[in-house]
Amino acid sequence: MVKIELKNISKSYGKFKALKNISLDINDKEYYIILGPTGGGKTTLLKIISGLVKPDEGKVLFDDIDVTEMTSGERNIGFMFENYALFPHMNLIENISYSGRVNARDPEMTEKLVEQVLMMTLLTGRNKARPEELSGGMKQRVALCRSLLNLEQTRLLILDEPLKALDAGLRMKLRRELLLMAKSEQLKLTVIHVTNEEQEAMMVADRIAVINQGKLIQVGTPHEIYYLPKNLFVANFMSEINYFDGKCIKEESPKWNIYEESLQKDKFYEEMRQKSTPMLIDLNTGVQFAAYVNNKVYDDINHGDKILLVSRANHMKIRLGNRINQKKNAFFGKIIRRKFMGVFYRFEVVTKIVGQDKIIVVTIPATSEVHNKFKEKLEVTVYFPKELGIVFKHPGQKIIKEVLKLE
Amino acid sequence: MPTIELVDVTKTFDEGKVLAVDNITLKINDGDYVFLLGPTGCGKTTTLRMIAGLEAPTRGKVLIDGKNVEGIPPEDRDMGFIFQHFEIFDHLTVWENVTFGLEMRGYEDDYIIEKAEKALNTVGLLDYADEYPSVFGNPGLQKLGIARAIATGAKILIMDEPLGSLDPKVSKVFRHELRNLIKDLGLTAIHVTHNQEEAMAIADQIIIMRAGRILQMGSPYDLYESPNSIFVANFLGETNFLQGFVLKLLEDAKMEMWIRLGGPKIICNNLNLQFNLDDNIIIAFRFEDVYLFPKGYDFENSTYDWAGVQLFEAKLEASRFVGSTKRFYLSLDNGDKFLSIKSGSYEENFSPGDDLIIGIHIDDIHVFKAPSDLLYETSLS
Repeated sequence: MVKIELKNISKSYGKFKALKNISLDINDKEYYIILGPTGGGKTTLLKIISGLVKPDEGKVLFDDIDVTEMTSGERNIGFMFENYALFPHMNLIENISYSGRVNARDPEMTEKLVEQVLMMTLLTGRNKARPEELSGGMKQRVALCRSLLNLEQTRLLILDEPLKALDAGLRMKLRRELLLMAKSEQLKLTVIHVTNEEQEAMMVADRIAVINQGKLIQVGTPHEIYYLPKNLFVANFMSEINYFDGKCIKEESPKWNIYEESLQKDKFYEEMRQKSTPMLIDLNTGVQFAAYVNNKVYDDINHGDKILLVSRANHMKIRLGNRINQKKNAFFGKIIRRKFMGVFYRFEVVTKIVGQDKIIVVTIPATSEVHNKFKEKLEVTVYFPKELGIVFKHPGQKIIKEVLKLE
Repeated sequence: MPTIELVDVTKTFDEGKVLAVDNITLKINDGDYVFLLGPTGCGKTTTLRMIAGLEAPTRGKVLIDGKNVEGIPPEDRDMGFIFQHFEIFDHLTVWENVTFGLEMRGYEDDYIIEKAEKALNTVGLLDYADEYPSVFGNPGLQKLGIARAIATGAKILIMDEPLGSLDPKVSKVFRHELRNLIKDLGLTAIHVTHNQEEAMAIADQIIIMRAGRILQMGSPYDLYESPNSIFVANFLGETNFLQGFVLKLLEDAKMEMWIRLGGPKIICNNLNLQFNLDDNIIIAFRFEDVYLFPKGYDFENSTYDWAGVQLFEAKLEASRFVGSTKRFYLSLDNGDKFLSIKSGSYEENFSPGDDLIIGIHIDDIHVFKAPSDLLYETSLS
C-alpha cells in the first residue's frame, strides 16, 4: 500500500518562493497528475515527495509514516526525471538492469522484467546501444524502463514529464500503456505523474492537482476540473475558452424566467444542475443571458456585481442564419475563419457587443459532417446551453491579461 | 508574387558522408502557409536553410518566382526570419529592435518610421515602443520577432520552431494568432516544426519528411484522411493499428483479413487489387471512427444503414474523460489494443471489463503492407 500525504509544504530558493503551503492527499493505487505551466513548482513538489529536496516547512507522510527526514533511497520509489540521468559508460541493458543489481534482486527475475519493459517501450533490439547513440525519445524510454523495474518492491511510480520528447504516435501508445499498467491486477500502482499538457493529464488521471506560481489551485477528477473550474486560470488551462464581461442580475421579475423553461434532458445536464443555481447575466447586448452557477460561487455574487462569463469553444453550438429570437444565450455573427484541425473543425465567428467586434471560437467534431454547411463569410448564430456556462466573480482586466499570458 | 520551388535538391555534409536531404522536389504556392514537419534529423531544418540561403544545395536548384537564387545571400531574398529563441536585442528598445534592420538597409527616416509603426501595430505592440523587451514574456518577445520580420516588407516568412519556446498552453492560443496575422498580411510562410498538432492547427499545406525525403505533401485534411504510409498515419497521431494477413480475396476489390494470433476476421478494401492471399498487412483506423455498442445490441431493428460496417467483439479496459472527448481503451482476445474516442457528453455508460461490440466502416479502414522493418512499426498496436 502506498498512500501519500503532504502537509503544509513550503519551499524557497533564496527569495523565490517555489512552493507556498501545499497540502494534498494521494490515495493508494491512484493515478495522480500534477498539472501546471512550466515554472509553476511541479518538479519541486515531485522532488520533495521523492526525497531529493527537503521542504523548508511541512511534512511528507507515506502510509501515515513521516518520511520528511528520510533520503530518497530509504523511501524506495521508482522515479524518472525529465533529464533522464542515464549512465554514459553503460549500454542500454546495463543502464536498465543497474538498479535491479543494486537491489540484489534475483538475476533471472530481473532479466525477465527487463525483457518485458523493453518490449513495452519498443526498445527490443537496441540492447547494446550506448546513451550517446540514442535519440532523445529513446533515452526517455530507457529512463522509463529503469523506473518501471523498481516497481516490484515499491508500488509507487513517480514520473516527471515522461512523454515529453516523443512523437505523437508513440506518446499516445505509452500513455495507454502507462495507464493500463498502473491499473493492472498484478501491479496496482500509485502513480504521480507531472505534466504541463492538459490533454495528457485528462487521458490518464484519476485525479488532477492544478499548480501555478507555487500554489495549489484545485484538486479534482478530470470532470470536476473541466466543468467546475475554480477560477479563470483553470478554466483556460483545460481547453480553449470564450469569455465575456458582464453583470449579475438578481431581480424579482426577470425577463427570462429560467425555471419555467424546458430543460436539456440528458443525465449529464441533470447532474450539472444539481450542483448549481441559475443566474441571469447582462452582457450589455440587450437580452439576458443565463448560466447555472456553482452554488458557492452563486452565493458570493450580488445583484449588479461584475462577473466574467466563460464558455468553452467545444460547448458552443452553431446554426445558419439569424436565430437570435429563437435561441437563448445566443450571438449573431459571421464566420471569418474555418480551419480543419484533425479531430475537429475550428470556427472564428465575429459578432458585435456594444459596437465592438468580439470574436467567438466554436469547435465541432469533424466526424459529424455538419461542418460542411458552415463556410467562411456565412452569417450564423452561436449559442451555449446554460448548464455549460461558467461564471466567476470578475477578477479585473489585469488578472485576465496575466492569466491568458498573451504578452 | 513569391512561389518557391526546389528541384531535385540534395544536401550532404561532412564531405558527402552525411546525407541530410535526399533529392527532394517541391513547390510552395504564393500566399500558402506551409509546414515542414518531421521527427528530429529528418532534414526539415536543412531544407528551410537552403530556401533561406543559409546553406547551398549540394545538387539541385532553388527557385524563387521561377528564378534560380544560387549565390544570392539571405538578406537579398526578400524574406523575414523568425527564430525559436527570438534573437531579440535586450539592450535595444522595442522600437529600436524593429528599426535596426531597416536602418542597416539604409532606408530614409520617414520610410523607417512608417514601416516600424505599421509592423508594431499589426502585432499589437505599438504601445510598448519605448519599453525594453524585458517587459515581455515569451509570447511578447515572439510578437516582437514577428514585427521585426514583417517590417522589412518581406513577402516570405521563414520560421524555425517559432512556437517552440512557448509553454504548451500559451502556444495553443498563440498559434491561432500567428496564422491569422500571416493570412491577413497575405504572406507566404514556411514553418518548421516536429509538433504535428501545431502543424494540423495552422497549416494550409504540410510536407512530411523522414530521413531526408518527402513522404507526403498535402492539406491537413488530405494527410489526415488519406495517409500514404504507416509512418504518416502514426505521426499525425490518433490512429489505431492492427496487424494480420489476407485470408481470402473477395469480389468488388475487397478481401477478408484475419487479425493476428486468433483475433477477429474483418473485411477491408483491396483497392487496385494490390494485396494477395497470405500477404502480411496492417490496418489503420482513426480513434473517432470506432463505434461502440453494448453486447446484445439489436442491430436488426435499428434504423441505421449497416452496409459496410464491420462488427467484432472487444473488451473495455478503461475509459477516460478528456474534456471535449471521452476515450475508451479496448483490447481484443489476442491482446491487441486499440482506442475509441467519442464526444465528451457521450451518454453510454460502459464499465471496465465490459464486453462490447465494435463497429468500423470499411471505408474508414486504411490498409498497408506490413513493413519488413518491424522494430518500430509492428509494435504500434
